[in-house]
Amino acid sequence: MLQNTKFYSNNQEKLLPITKQESTSLCALCRGTKFLCGKSRCPVIVKYHSRDKVKSLIDTVRIGGSSPPSVFIGRIGYPKVSIGPMIPPIMGDTSIIDTPELWLNKSIDDIVDFRSMLIRGKHTVDVYNVESSNKIVEYTRELALAKNSVFTDAIFSKKPRGSIAFYDDAQPHGPSAPIRKFDISNPKYEQHIEKAFYDTDLKSKDAIFNLYNDGVRISKIQRAFSVGAFGVKKLRRFVPTRWSITAVDSNIGENLMKNTKTYPWINEFRVYYHNQFDNRWAVLMTPSEWQYELIEAWYPNTTWNPYGSSISIFNSYEFYKGRTTYAEIGGCYYAARLAVNEVLNKERRQAGAVILREAHPGYIMPIGVWNVRESVRKALKEPYRKFDTLNQALVFVSEKMDIPLQRWIRNSAILKNQLYQKRLEDF
Amino acid sequence: MFNAKVKSEVLKGIIDVTSPLVNEVKLNISPKGISLRAVDPAHVAMVDLAVKDKAFEEYKATDMELGIDMDKFGGIMRLSSSGDMVSLEYDEETNRLIVKIGNLVRKMGLIDTAGMPDPKMPNLSLPAKIVLKASEISQGVRASEAVSDHLALTVSKDNFELSAEGDTDTVNLKLPKDLLVELNATSKSRSLFSIDYFSNMIKPVKGEDPITIQIGNDNPIKVEFDIAEKKGHVTYLLAPRIESE
Repeated sequence: MLQNTKFYSNNQEKLLPITKQESTSLCALCRGTKFLCGKSRCPVIVKYHSRDKVKSLIDTVRIGGSSPPSVFIGRIGYPKVSIGPMIPPIMGDTSIIDTPELWLNKSIDDIVDFRSMLIRGKHTVDVYNVESSNKIVEYTRELALAKNSVFTDAIFSKKPRGSIAFYDDAQPHGPSAPIRKFDISNPKYEQHIEKAFYDTDLKSKDAIFNLYNDGVRISKIQRAFSVGAFGVKKLRRFVPTRWSITAVDSNIGENLMKNTKTYPWINEFRVYYHNQFDNRWAVLMTPSEWQYELIEAWYPNTTWNPYGSSISIFNSYEFYKGRTTYAEIGGCYYAARLAVNEVLNKERRQAGAVILREAHPGYIMPIGVWNVRESVRKALKEPYRKFDTLNQALVFVSEKMDIPLQRWIRNSAILKNQLYQKRLEDF
Repeated sequence: MFNAKVKSEVLKGIIDVTSPLVNEVKLNISPKGISLRAVDPAHVAMVDLAVKDKAFEEYKATDMELGIDMDKFGGIMRLSSSGDMVSLEYDEETNRLIVKIGNLVRKMGLIDTAGMPDPKMPNLSLPAKIVLKASEISQGVRASEAVSDHLALTVSKDNFELSAEGDTDTVNLKLPKDLLVELNATSKSRSLFSIDYFSNMIKPVKGEDPITIQIGNDNPIKVEFDIAEKKGHVTYLLAPRIESE
């Protein structure tokens, strides 16, 4: 059972205890006994326990709680979509529940735990109807612009149903129900976001990048973007949460990339490495013009390779001139591209970047694209190893990763280009 | 000083040749004509271009440099139709290029050329040389684009061969000596090249117009042709790809 009293504490760390991340070796042990699915833990049990904790709290049509703040804009039925608040049945400062930037030191269980407490209210609205006088629309927008947790009291037309919902791009959330009425205590707006909201001539792409440069967290920008808070007035609309995440990542990344391309090259080959949620991340930077690739290797029984018997490898890439089509591998491509350009802009340097990801069996459920952005950010904060040649750098990469080098190269456009394309100064 | 009048096709030709490789160029202006040399951001390809004063209807200039944003200049030239006469004038006071198309006056800000490099042409000895009509090779390049990202060019004593290999598909174009304008090789030379780059290098040449190609073994390729009704000349260099084991 959930210890209710704990949630009145202001101490976030206590509220959401840190547990040790499990490793692949444990998984191998389990596989020998009863977890025949191959996953290191049974995801059904993880979900069940999470649900069990909140079940008694949400067995009602009226839920009051402190929204982190959080909103969800659905995608199904576009342009008529379900919008509404997300409310956990607890009080106090719940902001961490919707701030993925702070989740790297949580375990997957913790994240699933606190996300599954978020009850999603649904109200169907036309995406262009952002100015609606309907209170549900108005309060949903106010929540999205709020700086801190906001007390929210909602009456649903029936009891929230369903278990935790997972998406490939968006963070998971808990049961949902059509919302009939809701009320919020007076929210305090995030001041930079408020300014962009009232500027109805400012293009949304400029609003996003200005806010990013003002130091506003990406999750906050994305939340406000999803309720149509930015842009030229007549173009404003609701943007489904999962689209808004990639729109913001891609937009900021592109702006940073313009600068990256004007900076001098780095002088050495670099390899950064980080292991997060049983995902191994290796970032190779090359002294060259900007070029970028994300290669993902999914082990059997991981999120996006549940039935396969062999490792699946997918990649998307761009050379200096960029790409004109949406990345085959989806939102994670843009999330990681943002992280790489962030560090290059900080150093005022240009480089080529190849990100290799091995998703090992401990990565049992999709937790959202934030995981890619924050894990790559984390990797790039770690000290890197320097090398004089590409071969030395690749040998180091192969020590960190399980998949043989030749297989990475075979699946990589950028590595092939680096290895086989000569430059004029070589002659 | 720079003051010139020219058919819009000539300027469009210069843009077609240059803009696939570089966005910003340093245009060298002299009393005898204009020229530029630039390397692409990846250092894989070079373009060297010269257009004589005779290619212009009117031409008056002293030695100077113009830093030009090719995307912007391309956008301006798209405002002109073929046959239009375009006048160019350098405005020293504001550091702008004044472009006049008919009654339209478009003033374009120039880029600072101070930091822009003067790339050197590498000294290459390329043993094989062919001259062929653009139409003979462009079909083979287009076919290759569908199967791979690189192609092999081979010149032997009596033919020229273009080939590309994908995982399942292949392309081969063999042109015997008598279909070529010229073939000059004593032994076999073969190199691999990125199709993206190579295709951009032959695209500006149309139909029956000749292209001169020089290659060696695992060496850069040199592609040359005339522009501006033979009053201008383009030389491209492209570094090879080395075959994976």
